[in-house]
Amino acid sequence: MKLNKYRKKSPWILHYNAGGCNGCDIEILACLGPKYDIERFGMINSGNPKQADIMLVTGPVTKRSRERLVDIYSQMPEPKVVVACGSCTCSGGVFRGMYNCEGGVDQYIPVDVYVPGCGCRPEQIIAGVVEALAKLEQKTKDIEKSIRLDRSPQINNGQVDRREIAVGIAPGKVFG
Amino acid sequence: MNNIVVQIILIALAPFIGGLIYGIERKVKARMQRRIGPPILQPFYDFLKLMDKRKMIVHSTHAFLGIIHFISLWFALAILITGGDFILVIFLHLLSTAIIILAGFSTRSIFSHLGANRTAISILAYEPVLVIIAISAFMLTGSFDISALYAGEVPPLFKMPLAFVALLLILPVKLKKSPFDVGEAHQEVVGGVELEYSGIFYEAIYTAKWLDYVFCYLLVFLFGGSNIWLGLTLVVLTFIYINALDNSTARVSYKQMLRFCLWVALPLAFANLLLTMFNIL
Repeated sequence: MKLNKYRKKSPWILHYNAGGCNGCDIEILACLGPKYDIERFGMINSGNPKQADIMLVTGPVTKRSRERLVDIYSQMPEPKVVVACGSCTCSGGVFRGMYNCEGGVDQYIPVDVYVPGCGCRPEQIIAGVVEALAKLEQKTKDIEKSIRLDRSPQINNGQVDRREIAVGIAPGKVFG
Repeated sequence: MNNIVVQIILIALAPFIGGLIYGIERKVKARMQRRIGPPILQPFYDFLKLMDKRKMIVHSTHAFLGIIHFISLWFALAILITGGDFILVIFLHLLSTAIIILAGFSTRSIFSHLGANRTAISILAYEPVLVIIAISAFMLTGSFDISALYAGEVPPLFKMPLAFVALLLILPVKLKKSPFDVGEAHQEVVGGVELEYSGIFYEAIYTAKWLDYVFCYLLVFLFGGSNIWLGLTLVVLTFIYINALDNSTARVSYKQMLRFCLWVALPLAFANLLLTMFNIL
C-alpha cells in the first residue's frame, strides 16, 4: 500500500532556533494561533525530532548552535524536509560575514525550501511549508546526511562559504 | 453489554473508537479556542503517516516494552468490556503503566527519566482512588465483577455519587490532561516517556493513548448501570468537562497534583465507601 499521500495530511513540525533574533520564531508561533491555525492541516508543533517530519529552522547558524543543528537534523527519521525561515537562515542576512555566524543553515544541512523575509510573514511560512509538503511526498526513506565537504572551505569577503563546495546537494526552491 | 457478539466487536474496534474520540476531542478543543481544527479522522492520518517513517529504535527492549504496553492495555480494556473482575482491570491497567515507566527508565534520555518519574507519581495520585471505587462497587453489589454493576436496578450513580465525583477528579490525571498533565508536559519534558519512540513504535504508544480514552470513558459509562442512555449522557458530559478543564487551566506541579488527589479525591472516595458500606443511600 502506498502511504505517501498521508505524509502531507499530518506533517509534524520541529522548530529549531539556530541563534536567531526570535522574530521569525514569533511568526512561526503565530501560524499555530487562532488566526492562521495550521493545525487544521494536521500540523502539530511536536518539539521532538524523533517524531517530526518538517524542520523549521530560524536564525543564522551561530558557532555554538551548529553542532546541535546537525545533531537534531540527524535524529529525525526519514522522510524529512527542512524549511529555512527568514533571511538570516537562507543566507546569513545582516549577520553575514560576522565572526560568530556561519551564514545560512544550508552550509550544514540540506535545505528544501527557502522562505525569505525579515521576519518572514506567517502567510509566507505556510506557503513554504506547502511547497515542502509537495517535496515530502516525493521523498524516499533513504538516509539523508548533513553536508559533507570534499575540500576545505575558502573565505571570501569575510564569509566562509561552504555552500559552493558541498557534495551531493540538490538546489532548494526559493519561495516568497 | 451482555451480548457476546457486541462485546467482541467492541473489543476489536476499541482502538478505532478511541481514535474517533481523540479526533472529536481535537476538533472540540480547537472550536473552544476559536480555531477551525483538524479533520475528525486526523488521528488515523497520523497513524498512516507514522507507519511510513524510517524505523529508528534506541534499543530493542525499549521498542518491545512499548508494544507490550499497548497489548496489556488492550487486555485491561477487554476485561472491562466483558464485565470481568474490577480489581484485575485496575491491576492490568497498572501493569501497562508500569511497563511504560520501565521503558522510560531504560533509555539514557533525561527527559524520558523525568517523564517516567512523573508517570509513577501520577499512579500514586489516581490508583488509591480507583481501588476504593472498586471496593465501593463491591460493597454495593457484593461482587467484584463489573457485570454485577450493569445488573442492578438502580444505576450506581445514585448509589455512589461521591465515587463518581472522585472519578471525575482523577480522570484528568489518567488522561494526562491539564491541569494534571505533568507526566506528558510537552513544554517541559517533551512528552515524557514517549519521547524516545519514533515511527512505527511510537504508533503503539499513540494508539495506547486512544485505548486509554476508551478505558476512562467506559469507567464513566459504568455509573449508568443498566440504563444505557444515562451512561451515554454521563460520557458526553464528562467529555465536555474534561475538554473545558483542559482548555481553561494551567499545569500544576506534581506536588500540588499529588496533594489535591490525596486530600480531595481520596477522602471523597472514602466517604463514598462509608456511605455504601452502611447503606445510607
